Amino acid sequence: MFKLILRILNPVVFFFMVVAGVAVQTSLFALYPLNYLQPDIILLAVIWCALRRNFIEGGILTLVFANVAEIHTSAPQGLFLCCYMAVYLGLRAASRFFIIPSISSLIIATLCSSILWKFSYVTVLHLLGAGAQQWRHMLMFLFPGAVMEGILGVWVFKAMERFDWITFKNEKARQMLEDELQLDGEGL
Amino acid sequence: MIKYLKEYRFYITLFFFLLIPIVAIDTATRRERDYRIYDRAILAVTSPLQSAITWTLDQLVSGFQNYIFLWNTRRDNLALLEENRKLLNSIASLRETQHENTRLRKMLQFQEKFRLDTVLARVIAKDVSTEFRAIRINRGESSGIHKDMAVVTNEGVVGRVMRTTKNTSDIVTILDLLSAVDAIVERSRARGIVEGMTDDVCQLKFALRTDDIEPGDVLISSGLGGIFPKGVPVGAVSKVKRKPFGITQEVEIRPSVDFSKLEEVLVVTRTLTDV
Repeated sequence: MFKLILRILNPVVFFFMVVAGVAVQTSLFALYPLNYLQPDIILLAVIWCALRRNFIEGGILTLVFANVAEIHTSAPQGLFLCCYMAVYLGLRAASRFFIIPSISSLIIATLCSSILWKFSYVTVLHLLGAGAQQWRHMLMFLFPGAVMEGILGVWVFKAMERFDWITFKNEKARQMLEDELQLDGEGL
Repeated sequence: MIKYLKEYRFYITLFFFLLIPIVAIDTATRRERDYRIYDRAILAVTSPLQSAITWTLDQLVSGFQNYIFLWNTRRDNLALLEENRKLLNSIASLRETQHENTRLRKMLQFQEKFRLDTVLARVIAKDVSTEFRAIRINRGESSGIHKDMAVVTNEGVVGRVMRTTKNTSDIVTILDLLSAVDAIVERSRARGIVEGMTDDVCQLKFALRTDDIEPGDVLISSGLGGIFPKGVPVGAVSKVKRKPFGITQEVEIRPSVDFSKLEEVLVVTRTLTDV
């Protein structure tokens, strides 16, 4: 029973972890020169949702996280929802064709996602008529941002693996829990 | 019906995942969103964290500076270490107080010059994205701050209040892409709209090609729009590009406020014209 509660609590705790991460990102990385190396915590969370959650749960979490981003920015309404959802769906589609088994392949996926996110971001801005001057700025921050997310991803994804294992959200842990429940059900 | 829903569950979900962001995006006005109840709940978690992190960083920086002073003193004269430490700590503290006093005095002079009722606030966080340039301050509705109030420093215009909670406010700075401030050139009275462009540059839009604008010219707020008081410095012209054809000219502005060193701001709660 306790294990099942842990598993149910996983998305709630995950949400609060992301909220805390955004608070750190917006205050710690507001200082010069750290502002040039600002990682995107929400992007890392969306990548994790895309690769380690089922389609519906991951999609809902992505919308919730994008909403958290929207209340910490002056960006036009819906911009982050579009861009994070694009990354989420793009990664889910990519995961059908590529196997992403380990942390190192996750980091490569992070780097690609970061670049995809920036391009989708500026494209949507451009479509809204607000991003005409942003291409140069985006290109300047494109690679430092992607590298920072890659570096941070090493720790974040390891911590998330551990977190999912503890809360029985990990595939193996979930299988073990289901086996245990089945044995209990059979009276063994 | 249920069988049908189960069979096409994936496509239905995908449809909603695509629909929600598209519905949410406000193509007509490009406006930033206001806080909803659940947004305020999230902010109740993040704002104290942001304040705590900013405070801790301040303490760390201050502690580090004091350590460097002590380290130098010890090397110079071990016998006077204890006395020197106290003195240097006091000096550092006094110097910080002096700097703070100077800043606050300038702000007070500014406030008296323009005859404004203001609320002094501290910057606690910056925008989550690098493309937009909003800041968050530690004063909100409980200090009498409301949406669309002007935010300034003694150096000039900072931006306007975008949205508020009880104890914090988000400010959209003049560097932000979606910011627009009606301004006039102090010398020639040429008019235009100052819009954000990059981290340290704005652009003056809709300035006529025939307008007399030169690098070094100072721009001040025109007072139109009812947000900013008239005559507050906005920035200085850094580059003018005038083509031989067309209606307008390209003008780049360097803001008078140094946003990389922005620590305190004044929120204008009332101007003389409101009285």
